[in-house]
Amino acid sequence: MKLLTTLFAAAVTLVSSNVLAVNPVPAPKQSVPLLLKNATVHSVVNAPAVQDVLLVDGKIAAVGLNLAAPAGAEVKDLTGKHLYPGLIALINQLGLIEVEAVRATRDDREVTATNPDLQVQVAFNADSVVIPTIRSNGFSHSLIYPSGSLITGRSALMQLDGWNWQDALVQADVGLHLSWPRMSLQTGWWVRDSVEQQQKRQAEQLDQLHGFFQQAQAYYLAEQAGLNRGKDSRWHAMLAFFDKKLPLFVHADDPRQIRQAMLLAQQYQIKLVIVGGRDSWRMAEELAANKVDVIYTAPYGLPTRTDEAYDQAFSAPGILQQAGVRIALSLDGFWDTRNLVFAAGHVTRYGLDPASALRALTLDAAAIAGVADRLGSIEVGKSASLVLSDGDIFDYRGHKVEQLWIDGRSVDLDNRHKQLHRRYQQRYQAAK
Amino acid sequence: MISARLSLLSLAILGTTSAVSYAAQTTPELGIRDKTPNLVALTNATVMTEPGKTVNSATVLIRDGKIEAVRTNATVPAGYQTIDLKGYHIYPGFIDPYTQYGVPAAAESESFSFGRRPVYENERRGGNAANDAIHAQQRWVTQFKPDTKAAAELLKSGFTTVQSARQDGIFRGSAFVASLADGLPNDLIIKADAQHFLSFSKGSSKQSYPSSLMGSVALIRQTLSDANWYQAATASPNLQLDGKPIEFNAALAALSSLAQQGVLFETSDERSLLRASRLLAEFNIKNALLLGSGYEYSRLEQVKATGQPLLLPLNFPAAPNVTTAEQRLDVNLADLRHWERAPANPAVLAQAGIPFALTSHGLEKKSDFLPNLRKAIQHGLKPEQALAALTTVPASLLGLDSTLGKVAAGYQADLVISRGDVFVDGEIVATWLRGQEKRFGPVQPAQFTGEYSLSFQGEIYSIKLTGTLPKLSGEASLGEKKTKLENIVVQDARLQFSLPLAALNEQTTVLQFNGVLTGNHLTGYWLDASGTQIAVSAVQQAAAPVTAKAAAAPAPMLSQLTFPNRAFGLATLPEQQNLHIKNATVWTAAEQGVLPSTDVLVRNGKFEKVGQNLATPRGYTVIDAAGMHLTPGIIDEHSHIATEQGVNEGSHANTAEVHLGDVTNPDDINIYRALAGGVTAVQVLHGSANPIGGQAQILSLRWGADAEGLKFKDAPPSIKFALGENVKQSNWGTEFNSRYPQSRIGVETFIRDQFQAAKEYQAAWQAYNKLSKREQGRVAPPRRDYQLDTLVEILEGKRHIHTHSYVASEILMLMQVADEMGFKVNTYTHILEGYKVASEMKAHGASVSTFADWWGFKMEVNDAIPTNTCLMHEQGLLVSVNSDDPGLLRRLNQEAAKSTMYCDMDEHEALKMVTINPAKQLKIADKVGSIEVGKQADFVLWDAEPLSVYAMVQQTWINGARYFDRQQDLALRQDIEQERQLLIQKVLTAGESARQGSTTVYKQDDPIWHCDDNDDWLKLRFGFGKHLHSHGHSHGEQH
Repeated sequence: MKLLTTLFAAAVTLVSSNVLAVNPVPAPKQSVPLLLKNATVHSVVNAPAVQDVLLVDGKIAAVGLNLAAPAGAEVKDLTGKHLYPGLIALINQLGLIEVEAVRATRDDREVTATNPDLQVQVAFNADSVVIPTIRSNGFSHSLIYPSGSLITGRSALMQLDGWNWQDALVQADVGLHLSWPRMSLQTGWWVRDSVEQQQKRQAEQLDQLHGFFQQAQAYYLAEQAGLNRGKDSRWHAMLAFFDKKLPLFVHADDPRQIRQAMLLAQQYQIKLVIVGGRDSWRMAEELAANKVDVIYTAPYGLPTRTDEAYDQAFSAPGILQQAGVRIALSLDGFWDTRNLVFAAGHVTRYGLDPASALRALTLDAAAIAGVADRLGSIEVGKSASLVLSDGDIFDYRGHKVEQLWIDGRSVDLDNRHKQLHRRYQQRYQAAK
Repeated sequence: MISARLSLLSLAILGTTSAVSYAAQTTPELGIRDKTPNLVALTNATVMTEPGKTVNSATVLIRDGKIEAVRTNATVPAGYQTIDLKGYHIYPGFIDPYTQYGVPAAAESESFSFGRRPVYENERRGGNAANDAIHAQQRWVTQFKPDTKAAAELLKSGFTTVQSARQDGIFRGSAFVASLADGLPNDLIIKADAQHFLSFSKGSSKQSYPSSLMGSVALIRQTLSDANWYQAATASPNLQLDGKPIEFNAALAALSSLAQQGVLFETSDERSLLRASRLLAEFNIKNALLLGSGYEYSRLEQVKATGQPLLLPLNFPAAPNVTTAEQRLDVNLADLRHWERAPANPAVLAQAGIPFALTSHGLEKKSDFLPNLRKAIQHGLKPEQALAALTTVPASLLGLDSTLGKVAAGYQADLVISRGDVFVDGEIVATWLRGQEKRFGPVQPAQFTGEYSLSFQGEIYSIKLTGTLPKLSGEASLGEKKTKLENIVVQDARLQFSLPLAALNEQTTVLQFNGVLTGNHLTGYWLDASGTQIAVSAVQQAAAPVTAKAAAAPAPMLSQLTFPNRAFGLATLPEQQNLHIKNATVWTAAEQGVLPSTDVLVRNGKFEKVGQNLATPRGYTVIDAAGMHLTPGIIDEHSHIATEQGVNEGSHANTAEVHLGDVTNPDDINIYRALAGGVTAVQVLHGSANPIGGQAQILSLRWGADAEGLKFKDAPPSIKFALGENVKQSNWGTEFNSRYPQSRIGVETFIRDQFQAAKEYQAAWQAYNKLSKREQGRVAPPRRDYQLDTLVEILEGKRHIHTHSYVASEILMLMQVADEMGFKVNTYTHILEGYKVASEMKAHGASVSTFADWWGFKMEVNDAIPTNTCLMHEQGLLVSVNSDDPGLLRRLNQEAAKSTMYCDMDEHEALKMVTINPAKQLKIADKVGSIEVGKQADFVLWDAEPLSVYAMVQQTWINGARYFDRQQDLALRQDIEQERQLLIQKVLTAGESARQGSTTVYKQDDPIWHCDDNDDWLKLRFGFGKHLHSHGHSHGEQH
């Protein structure tokens, strides 16, 4: 016991040293107009072209050729560089987990299977040392979500350069998250239950799930009629769902799960987003016809089944896109979100056209998160959230992020990794 | 017909007489003595006296439990009871060499759970072994008690003799051979000390060790070695070891009889079988029988090459469940193939000339034995081969071929009596055990099928009986109208049924018939509505002769047989080609750097020439590689693919005795997937659960080869060490807090002490080897210790350490211990804080292999940085980038590329981190890792710059043979889908019959292994416990 206490104390000490590690200061509000000249602009809505972009008061004020600099504007010549909308990473747990194996640093899930009342943003640690390492690879926004069992809570879109969660919050209540019960039958030696037991449990969980929605609906109906005798925190949080203002984000991979989720969404006539979607390629037409969006989380994945082609997981986004499904990409983790941009480049070799890959990290991601009016493309009136890279941002050979603006604020791209690098460079320089 | 029936009536009488008595040698007979004679003549039978030999119209004379003679058309000597078996077949009684008959079953160990504290020691008593799964001293004969119920099941399938022991543990003890007859065990035991039973499964043992298959192999190896040592050390009295007398060890003492008694080794699939065979060969154990699995056909050549006789179960699988469209999603091609081919396994083995016996082991219901045997025969096994596998072969394997296995004079009167040919559709009606008959249920030879005209109240009802006993069905007709008979009951020659008249003449009456068939005369009465008996009779009109169910020839095989036998397996193994690769951009990973528009010649598996505009030598295949990039094959310093049943022997803190090469899994689909990512070689490392882990295995990814064929030839041996959180069990759960060490300070002390032990061990052997032969005779030889042997190899510089490590303190610590104890750290792997102490590692001479950018997954990776590679490279360290993950393995080129992006490493230099640098770390750089004349032609053709995210592997070659080709892969996908659909249709067409069979025989793929997977594999695999967490990995694909 003493040993345990010691180990625990050691863990706490290390965590505290984390907290002490100082992140760069969040950038101040844009104070003067900024004119970005001659970069290749990947606006998303138009083909890439060399243009100028004017940023005023945190918004894109103009996009075009030979823009005139307003009085007092800062002008930057970006000839040869590439300008993209700030990248948006949907579905991850940035700021919710600091060190995966250390429980004390995790705020990513709650007990019970009915948590619609959880708002994930309140645990977002804006000072997480992980966040600056994500920004420095071009990400300006992140959709964080609560994990768990069945109804896990509500996701929130955060901007990645804030003083605290309130400062960082862009959009609360992006979606109601539902972790669909497993519907495939497993026979591996590590599986606890027989096929029959699994089937029984699956049926029970489905019943339970539908039961929750029925209870929530009962509460909604009674609320409309003023008949509720008290406030049920859980079902109260779902009023927006029944008002069709809170889309349903279902975490599901298997066609059985996805079809069941589609039925549920139809029943309550709610917008459905599938998160995960490993098997979504098997039913791409069906998803397109029903206007179901997919946030695909396995762009680097191994095949789901042994009979599938080695690149099955890589080629799914392309199949979805060709069938007309709107997609975003995700790696559903936290620290590794910085690799999402390369994963997007990777899948373009397996059928996803490069323009769609860009949309999947920008405009389509913004649309799925319900913020396409503000984010996701370089268009007049939108947030001045942009990333500047040396070359093709999706390839290691061109990806060198030189600057990131969030709402017109020029973000400091330093991070803990760069700091440690510099620190130990000094050790060896000193030794010389 | 009459004679047969009468004879069986007499059989029935015999069956009730008391047993032939062998008793009373030492057991007092109380009361009146039994002196019933045992003199029987079975006449007019068709007797298969032995495989391939049939005697028609034979008489078998039985006297006092033995066969006295087998004669043709003989008159029965006086004094013998005659039983006419005209129309019946007699076979020698079957022998099952692998049962648990008559011994108490193992107590199931308490359910394994993650909340249970690990058990490191067993209860010691009676000189038992230090591991609970080793109980070779058990003589199961001492526990034998006949079990009538269990015997009946076996007898009905024709078995009369079994070998038996409790099937629990690794060294399970000595089996015995016994008759399935009733009686005193003393009389039934045929051989008291038969084969030693052996397996890889620790069964009900609660001890943590072994927790993996490689641990089981190591434990078996050490035990067999110990047995030899024990024999030598106790050969003469009073020998001493280290000044102490030799301990008594009951298990080792018992194993001295191993060579003489022989071994029966239980295996679970063909890989397991080949593994067992290699292990036995290591100790030159030839007297062995291997229990197979039904998968032998899939590596027939290798199975045959073992030269071992096999014991085959007949537990053919039920078809994979494709009942609904959705369920197809969970079905894989390998299982579909096995469902189709498993019944042909015995025939395939017989055809290949592999000797085998058959066993009922593995059948969920013993009554499936005969149907499955017939299935095997329908699939090509010849009846005489089947008979041999049930009689002469097992008799000979058990050394009992002079008394068992034939119907011949002097042999035990163990017989199988079947109506009809048992290998076609015959029904076993009785078995004889040492002259005693065991009959099954009422014997009913009367053939009721046919038509009878029975009158009632002036109408003639035509009664038609069809089917076979005991399931007769019947129909009555009157004119055009028909109705079914109900309640048909048959007892001997008596027939009863009910006839509802409603459908025939609109009466509500139900008539009941009761009669006896004598010859073809059915006589009896109706019982009418008033209860009146009305006599009636009819002559049986024979039904159309039932054509002996012509064994339906099995449908032709639709499945492919590939290596390995699963989707993406190869029909034939790739062959070396001489190549002229033209106009590629060649990334040499050597001094020449990157060469534009360059030609490469490959001859006999090696790079022959690198240059521009080379002429194509005759017979060379030309590859136009214009626009393509040619690189050496990718090499991974740190992988866990192609490994089965556990990557960690995580029980003990030092497991240097275990070897990944013992558990190579050549069927792992991740081999093929890695090839598709350009990988040609990997080092398969032990996990990181202990400071001193297991021996590593370097593989050359020759997909399709067997386990031995995958092993990289002449690679120097290496071993995994580990430091930090994993070895001190930080994240294992609170119940894991008792194993030493629990801290980094303990790790240092532990490693030092282990090397001290190795030095002392080394010295002991050196001292012993210096002794003269005479002096050696006066002391016991030192005991060979595989764990310390491995450490001695490290001290001698013959085995290279790859140590899992993260933080600066532990990195420095290990080098200090190494310097002190006199060994070297070859490679630090993971080494995420390597950049902090690069100069120290450089001074020690260590190399480094790191993750490109992993961090965040646990406390000790908190200071990891993606520029680690560059900082270490700048300090002159040999740097590689590794995967530790089968997903990441497929894009190591991209992992290397991250260093060009994060810290401007030169692209060629970065490529070296996944080619020549790991080759150097694995000490195979003289053979692979770069494109240089004379090196093995392991190479990859990419369609873009290899460090680009857009680079896609087009071809991967090993040793001049093509193992991956994107175009072929695309075609293969179509074939696989088509084959799947064909087989699914076959399952659906087969209907109900496809659902019959075992559901537990299919192979299960291992989960994706990672360093810190430390589940007790053996507990989980063999059902003694259940897994509590899913394998969605905390540091899975992306972490």
